[in-house]
Amino acid sequence: MAELLQNLIDGLGRGSIYALLALGVAVIFGVMHLLNFAHGELITVSGYAAFWAINAGWSWYLTVPLIVVVSVATSLVIERIAFSRVRGADDFTLLLTSFGVHFVVSAVFLLYVSASFKTFARPGWVTDTYSVGSLRVEVFDTVVIAVTVVALIATTLLLQRTMFGLALRAAAADFDTARLMGVRSDSVIRGAFALSGVLAGIAGVFWLMRAGSTFPTAGINPMLKGVLAALIGGLGSLRGAVLGGFALGLAEVLLRSRLPDSVASLTEGVVFLLIALLFIFRPQGLVAVAHAERV
Amino acid sequence: MLEVSGLTTKYGEISALREAGLHVGSGEVVGLIGPNGAGKTTLLNSIAGLLTPSEGSVTFEGEDITGRPPEDLVRLGLALVPEHRRVFVDLTAEENLKIGGVTTAGADRAELLEEMGERFPMLRDKWTTPAGYLSGGEAQQLAIARALMSEPRLLMMDEPSLGLAPILVDVVFDLIESLRAQGRTLLVVEQNATRMLDLADRAYVLRSGEVVAEGTGAELRGNKDLFDTFVGN
Amino acid sequence: MFPDLRRDVLYPIVGGVVLFALFVGFGLVYQGQLGGAERLVTFALIDAVIVLGIQIYVGNTGILSFGHIGFGAIAGYAFALSAISPAEKAKRISDAPFGLADVQLSPWLAVGVAVAATLVVAFVVGVGLARSGAESGAVSATVITLALLFVTHEVARNWPDLTGGDRAGLSFRIGGTLDSRVPIYVALLVTIVIARLYAQSRSGRLAVAAREDNLASRAMGVNPLVQQMVALLISVAVVSVGASLRVYEKGSILPGDLFFNLTLVTLVMLIVGGRRSVTGTLLGVAVITAGRELARRLGQDGFEVFGIGLDDAPLDWIFRENLKSVFLGVSMLGFMIWRPSGLLDDWELDRWFHARSARSSEPPTDPLPILEPDDSTPLVVEGVNVTFGGFRALTDVGIEARKSEVVGIIGPNGAGKTTLLNVITGLVESSSGSVVLGGADLTSAPSFEIARSGLVRTFQNLRLFTALTVRENVEVSALVAATSRRHQPSPDVDGLLAAAGLWEHRDRRARELDYGTSRRLELARATAMAPAYLLLDEPTSGMSDSESLLMIEQVRRMAGLVGAGVVVIDHDLNFIIGICDRIYCLDCGEVIAHGSPAEIQADPIVQAAYLGAAAQA
Repeated sequence: MAELLQNLIDGLGRGSIYALLALGVAVIFGVMHLLNFAHGELITVSGYAAFWAINAGWSWYLTVPLIVVVSVATSLVIERIAFSRVRGADDFTLLLTSFGVHFVVSAVFLLYVSASFKTFARPGWVTDTYSVGSLRVEVFDTVVIAVTVVALIATTLLLQRTMFGLALRAAAADFDTARLMGVRSDSVIRGAFALSGVLAGIAGVFWLMRAGSTFPTAGINPMLKGVLAALIGGLGSLRGAVLGGFALGLAEVLLRSRLPDSVASLTEGVVFLLIALLFIFRPQGLVAVAHAERV
Repeated sequence: MLEVSGLTTKYGEISALREAGLHVGSGEVVGLIGPNGAGKTTLLNSIAGLLTPSEGSVTFEGEDITGRPPEDLVRLGLALVPEHRRVFVDLTAEENLKIGGVTTAGADRAELLEEMGERFPMLRDKWTTPAGYLSGGEAQQLAIARALMSEPRLLMMDEPSLGLAPILVDVVFDLIESLRAQGRTLLVVEQNATRMLDLADRAYVLRSGEVVAEGTGAELRGNKDLFDTFVGN
Repeated sequence: MFPDLRRDVLYPIVGGVVLFALFVGFGLVYQGQLGGAERLVTFALIDAVIVLGIQIYVGNTGILSFGHIGFGAIAGYAFALSAISPAEKAKRISDAPFGLADVQLSPWLAVGVAVAATLVVAFVVGVGLARSGAESGAVSATVITLALLFVTHEVARNWPDLTGGDRAGLSFRIGGTLDSRVPIYVALLVTIVIARLYAQSRSGRLAVAAREDNLASRAMGVNPLVQQMVALLISVAVVSVGASLRVYEKGSILPGDLFFNLTLVTLVMLIVGGRRSVTGTLLGVAVITAGRELARRLGQDGFEVFGIGLDDAPLDWIFRENLKSVFLGVSMLGFMIWRPSGLLDDWELDRWFHARSARSSEPPTDPLPILEPDDSTPLVVEGVNVTFGGFRALTDVGIEARKSEVVGIIGPNGAGKTTLLNVITGLVESSSGSVVLGGADLTSAPSFEIARSGLVRTFQNLRLFTALTVRENVEVSALVAATSRRHQPSPDVDGLLAAAGLWEHRDRRARELDYGTSRRLELARATAMAPAYLLLDEPTSGMSDSESLLMIEQVRRMAGLVGAGVVVIDHDLNFIIGICDRIYCLDCGEVIAHGSPAEIQADPIVQAAYLGAAAQA
């Protein structure tokens, strides 16, 4: 029982980061029908910014907002340079464009920085733990979960209570009719990329705190988690993306602890296998997006 | 107020609209009738900027608006209630109205919301209901109210009575009548030709993408061969 | 199998040999010019095999697979495990399961084992893809194949007893690699020819039709899932051979060799050249290989390119190490933005040869016989009820038709006409009712089966196979009819094209046609299925009055060629009255009138439905 609780907390900790990443992916998919394989690059780039800052003597208090700002800026730049030119293209093209962006960004860092890991000091409390009964809880996990909850609440408020959020939701539901109302396509798409950047930035803060390093292809892992989680939840559903993120995090932790030792290292592989099976039998994802329909 | 001339719109190779022309004067209620596939929706969509005409021009209050995107036109005072209503199904009725007023300043928007609530009591009851759960008639009212939120000078409506039961058709036409009484300028595409002609000041008959007849509501209504005009004998 | 032996077998084989010669020739010249590029060219030849394998699937089905290199990994390891000597294996994987440590086969047998093993996995994955509803543009297919890539990578990394794991891998005795390029040349030549032959074959054409328009292909009797499986198996077999060769040439295999990096490189090669074309794919391999090498040299060796020195200062911020990765990324991104279909789109060398050499043929002069329709297979639709959510689309609707008649369905917008057609042709499910054709119950059959049984439809929004030529569009139906409607006399394609007035357009792509011709093509394509009934959905939509009248003639002629009955929905009452023997009028999901054109025209109920009822007093 205690072990299960332990797993639960660990899984939620991981799942929180995945949920934030997945939400960032889902927001863009909602307005552009684009599955953003370049989402992880936001973390790669802000990772380099963090590396520079920390090694230049910045404290983490300053570095955290820097990471978020760089993430948003990168997101908008990518939109401007690449995605704005393929709006309305077919899915194949959109998919490969985002792939191409991923490729270019990591290649540029490979070219101008180096292939090696750039490490930076992590905040001291990252490895601290405290005890609750017989459980050892990581301070880190607690902070991650707490911040994620706040971020999700804030995002929900943004989407539900502001005109910007309303415009985003309307555009995601019916882009053309939203334009008929006067919603500007450029504004709404850029807004989506900015929001996605903020979410990736927050996720990136924790990802980088955990990793303490960055390298040109650092973006692949978070991107995969985000994309897969969003897909698991069912593309087109923001709720589903969050759910998918937590599900993925929990699945990873549970599998790792349940699988027999000999196979434990195959956790990643098993997770992929399960995802493949999910898509075979339920291609629409966990949360089948049931639109409000008059019965 | 609205001047359309020589408008031709194509879907790829299909000329859905062939040199269509019409005009709407301030305060008028003008109807667009005709059999299906005639191009009525194409005409409205071409005016509203959802489609780009290949030839011809659209002038609104003296300004050339041919091919301009819909987001611009709303700000100029031209609003469209699209075919099939296209309410945002996951947004509540109130949110639908709010987004309809996205181009209006915040304070004015709140006032307008109040007004809509009063004018459409049927909607007021469903303020927080997702629009997808509304009945056809309620959804139609919502779509119209939503378009009114941008305080348009010219309101275009695409088949407002489509898919509604006869009683609700009455409600919709009463609504159009009351809009007319307020002095609104309306351009309405309707399948229900008879009722539209009762209501309209003037009307155009479209067939196969062309304007084949024009006249006052009374003139066309009294035309015994209207059905033949539709058929094209 | 092959509609036209000259165009589909002879020319592809000859063209394939020419392509092979050109590609290898370019490689040899390149190798001669650039010192030390032998190995590079060898790998380029092998990569060409792999990329062509991927092209066979991605190009013809339109499904973006990220997993083919995963299949390659399976093949590579299977090959290595079978071909490496027990002595070498003992060094790394002495505890290999299934007694594999003691196995050694000749390399060629080992390739066979690799192909067989991978095909088994491919079949299973293919079934999974089918189950998920894979079609061109479907995200689920991409995810499943991506998962395959990762799963194989993970297994390779984490099962050291089988694969030697991440650090060590498996390797051959030093020097035990391919000594000559001959096997590679053979593999490449065979691959090019297979790729072309497949694309021209029945299966390839049906797969392409499904890629162009999945719905329309099913309406023409194509079962996309079967064709996609065939494409997958052939493509995986080719990739397996290529992967084995790669391992053999390299002399070793590590998990990272056949994973993300190679996936990206092969994808870029595919899209730069043109994923729909074998010629383009080869061009892509050449361009990317040369480009990467150029980038690598510029980055490393300084700025001497073919003896020309480039100025240091202004350009040194570009020319650095790892330039080749940037080159790849920029190529992918650039092409997606500016030329997503690749350099050559779907242009093929042998098709170009064929078009040039085609003896200017005269259209067949003998007019096709008009068949006497018999009334043996009546179409009886009864009691159809359809509800969408809470909305009653159709209530107890039924129609009847005979092969000797033209039956019309009219009614205002939203009356349920197209829904009825969709029910008859299997696109929409009815909650009750039946569709019976000549005694055979088609009520719950899938749409491709209904088409094969003799009910073929056209669509309101034209659904042609736009990238195919006029002739190829019609050939798709003819190919299906040849196997599924053997008992019907089906018209010869040439004769059909001539009768439809399409002869002069026969080699033009469907997307280049003007509207009227497109409509005629859609009709001809449906007719080529030799159906019992042609079900036409608004064939005159978008036409002027005069064009609609011409359509009457066209429909009568086409139906006459195959003795088919016609059921036609349209809003153009002039057209309907001109062509129909009987007319049903629908309104609000119910049949409100039924009779001859004269009766319908004079019926006040019909008039009211069209003009709208007067205000309730």
